[in-house]
Amino acid sequence: MEKKADYKKSKKRLDDRKMDELRPLKIKVGVIPNAEGSAYLEWGQNKVYAAVYGPREALPKHTANSLKAVVKVEYRMTAFSVPERKRPGPNRRDQEISKVLSEALAEAVFVEQFPNTEIGVYVEVVDSNAGSRVACLAAASCALADAGIPMKDMVAATGVGKAYGELVLDLNKDEEDAPDAVDIPIAILPNSEEIVLLQMDGLLTKKEWEGVVRLGIKGCKQVYEVQKKALQEKFVLGEAKTKDLEEKVKGAKE
Amino acid sequence: MTKQIVIPGELISDERKRLGSNVFVSEGKIYSKVFGITDKQNETADVVPLEGQYIPRSEDAVIGIVDRVIFAGYGIDINSAAKSFIPKSAMRNEIRLGDVIAAKIQGVNEVKEAELTYPKVLSRGEVIEITPVRSPRLIGKNGSMLNLLQEGTDSEIFVGKNGRVWAREGNIELLKKVVKFIDENSYKSNLTNAVEEFFKKQKVKTNGKKS
Repeated sequence: MEKKADYKKSKKRLDDRKMDELRPLKIKVGVIPNAEGSAYLEWGQNKVYAAVYGPREALPKHTANSLKAVVKVEYRMTAFSVPERKRPGPNRRDQEISKVLSEALAEAVFVEQFPNTEIGVYVEVVDSNAGSRVACLAAASCALADAGIPMKDMVAATGVGKAYGELVLDLNKDEEDAPDAVDIPIAILPNSEEIVLLQMDGLLTKKEWEGVVRLGIKGCKQVYEVQKKALQEKFVLGEAKTKDLEEKVKGAKE
Repeated sequence: MTKQIVIPGELISDERKRLGSNVFVSEGKIYSKVFGITDKQNETADVVPLEGQYIPRSEDAVIGIVDRVIFAGYGIDINSAAKSFIPKSAMRNEIRLGDVIAAKIQGVNEVKEAELTYPKVLSRGEVIEITPVRSPRLIGKNGSMLNLLQEGTDSEIFVGKNGRVWAREGNIELLKKVVKFIDENSYKSNLTNAVEEFFKKQKVKTNGKKS
């Protein structure tokens, strides 16, 4: 069933957002103790976990590159993350997304510093509603920073495109299913505004295209602010207290 | 307090400054490479990392674990991505799988493989793990923290730069907890004082019980 909407008339989106407004975005860093770095992200209905392991010895050995580290990304969707059960195990789409995410992240990481190693990035989609690849990219970038891996910049990503006659930021599933929908995942390095991921299908005029890229970059910068805040919240600077240490020692004894 | 947390790619200074560690220059501006702490008013642009793995550097003292024994020598795990190797000719006596050794890194090659010298077997004792980039806080200024730990727990302690601490005798259970505390609070100030005060109180307690 198709919903009838005309954004040009209504000036408001199906979920009452403005045209250039993101869905509510929340990131928490350091959620998986066994991983070197990790992040949990909620973006609208999207829920994503990212974990980073390494730099570690690249296995199987033929994947190692003696000049740089390989960023290995594994994008997975849980069987219950979509309305219709998804068969577990990687399919064509998962492989494609893993590849583009890996290339986007490798742009940011100083890969030359870790020859012959791999950096394992595992992203798991627990719940999805359009734009899961950009959600994964935003989470993975936080997880990489949390793992202490040297990077040129964070990778900020968002969805952008056209739906019901207007250019919109961060499309949800209803908008993605619009008859004139164009969905463009875009990721940038915020400092240089270098684009590291951009995919598109559908049709746009040249003018619309320019507007969409501008809108996308604006959206990415909003995402970047959230990522920055999430990382800074992990550590609160202050003084170490004897009391905390006493409690630690006592707590373990009991 | 002028210290602040920076994330990778965050601007540290747009002026020219002496470059410290974990920073890079792009178009004349200085940016942080890692997630860490910096003091933007400092004369050198420098970032102390909050998280991270061990990257071998020459002159580092490290604690290795023997994870491979072949005819020619021993494979040593030094907690970095690349394995190290000590030929049998460099060792005075034979060592076995799982033995703990202390060694110094003589040099690191292009693919970050470390060459170890002066290997010394650490017999008995236990190995405690800490986030590698936080291990300097276990030593403190001029070894102040290390002295405290040694006196407080009555153990013989060896801190490796690669995130491993070897300890023998004394109150190792207590040492483990204090190391964990230092690991978790490494980014805070006043750490040495907090630990010093803790050991003072402990001493009073144990003395009180004895008498």
